Amino acid sequence: MSKETPQDLIVKSAPHITGPMSKNRLMQYTFVALLVITAITAILWWSVPAPTTAQIDSLKLTNVWQMPLGAIVLLNALIAIGVAVGADALLHKVASDSQLNIWSSAVFGLIVTLSYSLGIPEMAQAADVMPIETLTAPMAFLYVAIISLIGLVIFKKIQGIGGRKYVNPAAAAKFLVLLPFIGSVFLAKDHFAAFASGGLGVPNLAGAIGGGTAPIGTNGVASFVTYLQGCYKNPAIATPPDITSLMILEKFHGWTGGASAIAVIIVGIALFVLARKYIKWKVTVAYFISIFAMSIIMSAIYADSDMVTRLLFEVFIGSSIFLGFFMATDPATTPFTGTGQIIFGVGLAILTVLIQTYMNFFGGALLALLIMNLTVPLLDRVGIHKPFGR
Amino acid sequence: MTNYVEIKEHKEKARITPIEVFPDPKVAIVLTYQHTGAVNKTLVSVGDTVAMGQKIADSKEKISAPVHSPISGKVIKIGDIYNSCYAECSEAIWIENDNKNTKDKTLTPISESELKNTPNEVLIKRIRDAGIIGLGGAGFPTSIKLSVPQDKPIKTLIVNAAEGEPYDTADERLMIEKAENLLRGVRVVRKILGNPKVIVATKVSKVEAVPKLQSVFGKEPDTQVIAKHLSYQQGDASVLQKAILGYEAPPGKRSYESGTIVQNVATLNAIANAVFEGDPLISRVTTLNGDVKEPKNILVKIGTPISSILSHYNVNTNDLKQVVVGGVMMGNAIQTIEAPITKRTSSIIVFSKSKSKKDQEQTACIHCSNCISSCPVKLHPIMIYNAIMKGDFDKAEKLWLKDCIACGTCSYVCPARIPLSGIICGSKST
Repeated sequence: MSKETPQDLIVKSAPHITGPMSKNRLMQYTFVALLVITAITAILWWSVPAPTTAQIDSLKLTNVWQMPLGAIVLLNALIAIGVAVGADALLHKVASDSQLNIWSSAVFGLIVTLSYSLGIPEMAQAADVMPIETLTAPMAFLYVAIISLIGLVIFKKIQGIGGRKYVNPAAAAKFLVLLPFIGSVFLAKDHFAAFASGGLGVPNLAGAIGGGTAPIGTNGVASFVTYLQGCYKNPAIATPPDITSLMILEKFHGWTGGASAIAVIIVGIALFVLARKYIKWKVTVAYFISIFAMSIIMSAIYADSDMVTRLLFEVFIGSSIFLGFFMATDPATTPFTGTGQIIFGVGLAILTVLIQTYMNFFGGALLALLIMNLTVPLLDRVGIHKPFGR
Repeated sequence: MTNYVEIKEHKEKARITPIEVFPDPKVAIVLTYQHTGAVNKTLVSVGDTVAMGQKIADSKEKISAPVHSPISGKVIKIGDIYNSCYAECSEAIWIENDNKNTKDKTLTPISESELKNTPNEVLIKRIRDAGIIGLGGAGFPTSIKLSVPQDKPIKTLIVNAAEGEPYDTADERLMIEKAENLLRGVRVVRKILGNPKVIVATKVSKVEAVPKLQSVFGKEPDTQVIAKHLSYQQGDASVLQKAILGYEAPPGKRSYESGTIVQNVATLNAIANAVFEGDPLISRVTTLNGDVKEPKNILVKIGTPISSILSHYNVNTNDLKQVVVGGVMMGNAIQTIEAPITKRTSSIIVFSKSKSKKDQEQTACIHCSNCISSCPVKLHPIMIYNAIMKGDFDKAEKLWLKDCIACGTCSYVCPARIPLSGIICGSKST
């Protein structure tokens, strides 16, 4: 006779084995990749000294902590990760249905860190037109903490309740927190407005970029190359390196994650290979090809004599290079289908170049990403291919 | 181009383990409904004496296959027991072994020389009378599959020797040990189908089976053995057909529509036994693998309780976490080890509590879309899943829910451990 007492066997639907990649492992891979980029930036920027007393006086900075820029990067990372992971754990404790995602929160913290701008560019000469303190300690710490907190609570957790995240949490939080400074932080046309005449001019990309010392556009007085060199060079070094190595190898201002474009490219590709099929690399490829194409088109439209500099700027600016690899591929806020992902990447590139050209919003990829994120529900309807044999 | 997801085979030990004959059960529990199609009616009553190979349940419906007593003895009970083919309880016949091995001689052997002159109807009837169904897992009655309309000529017979399921090696051992018998089975099917060309499709990883198949099938006219790298998903008949012929068979249509019939190795073995030996399908080769000391390939009587196999091979039943029959990717995790072996039990895979890692909990979808890029039949699993979860079955249908081949790849790759395949397959059948 059979004993029909069921054993404690686990009964569930097939399949009964799972693949090696779990959400946690994917997040761990991403975390390590971002950590490598953080470390590279910290090492590179360790040579950037704290603002000197003379600088502090001339920029009318108050209460600036004297520490190397590299140290600020590391502290930023610790703060952003700590706030994100802490908020995640706290939410999990108070709201039982809030899943604990330590690795995901840690990755988020690093994204916040690496998408935050640090370092005072050479031409920063007046503190009254922009909150230059945000680019250094301790204000940077405060802003990073706030972005991390708002990003995690509002844009990751609350936004995720409905099952779909509409905008990239780190991008949305940064945009929201820094919105009060939009005129000064984001829009290059207002940078150093006090020096519109006499000082280092601000480039306008809606104009021809010439070589040598030829001005660009109508409002600039220095060449675009000079502007970029002043913007990105290590303030501790008198003579800036050539523009190509500056843009590709090492920048000393701007997005923390974009300090070394080549590092981002290498680490990014390594992650894509390691987490093959789990990262939407099509977005990145479509984005950079389109950025390249758009730069050439813009260059042709404005009859640049220096096409290379426009190209270097559009492709390798920190916001573009870091966002293209690590934020535009955020799975939750990008399309499901391959075609959707390609359209997303192309759209992101077109918007980025247009925003940077016509709004003078350098770092326009951030806004472009938020706009493209909102199109994802629509893009999910395209590229639904027919199945096998149909 | 589809990049198939590679799944570790876990066959190293099992594939070199010869088939051993498992002792007949003291009490066989024969499920009356093991095929896909109409439910069978029991033909015996409690107290009846039955012979080995005697038909004990059948249906008058066309799409059906009878079942036979695997042993000689007495019917001692008719009742319900867990049926691993359907993951629910259904009717079974308990037969107590009289150890006399009295054989039922209803099916008379047809000699190999007679094959040529035997009408197809006789062969198809024999296949039905022997209770043969697709032993690869689908369980569709083979007699119906081979009843091809005259106006649909079959150009190719593909012998599915891929055995894609991880851990399973029952087919592989048949290829090594019974290749000649498989050839006899192929000859029967070929005769029925009007002599199409034959392609034996197997995997290069079957290092012992490939040369054996080549030497046995190599001399057969218009027959080819193709050994190539095949992923797990390419063990599915339609996906295999694409790998071999480069042709995507339209889903939802009978396979003969495209001029190709795909037949599994174990089924061909059963066909040869039925035609040339007069043996109905009362036993099959199954693999015991997973968290066991020594994996086994056993020739076991249908109706043998799985518990007796586990205890025979000293599997600690107190340490069982999960027992899966019919393959870890597509099979069922059984509720009770008292469940009997069925015609479709191609393997018994044991997972123990002590050796298993903690199961990862299901979390929210991260939209990685790997389920979409991994689907071998190019579906959009997460979108279908989302539609089902919202109750929007129209949308799920529009996303070709019914074309799912239940291979489980989407669930396998999902980093959030969402039971995509389970939900999709469950909705497909409703």
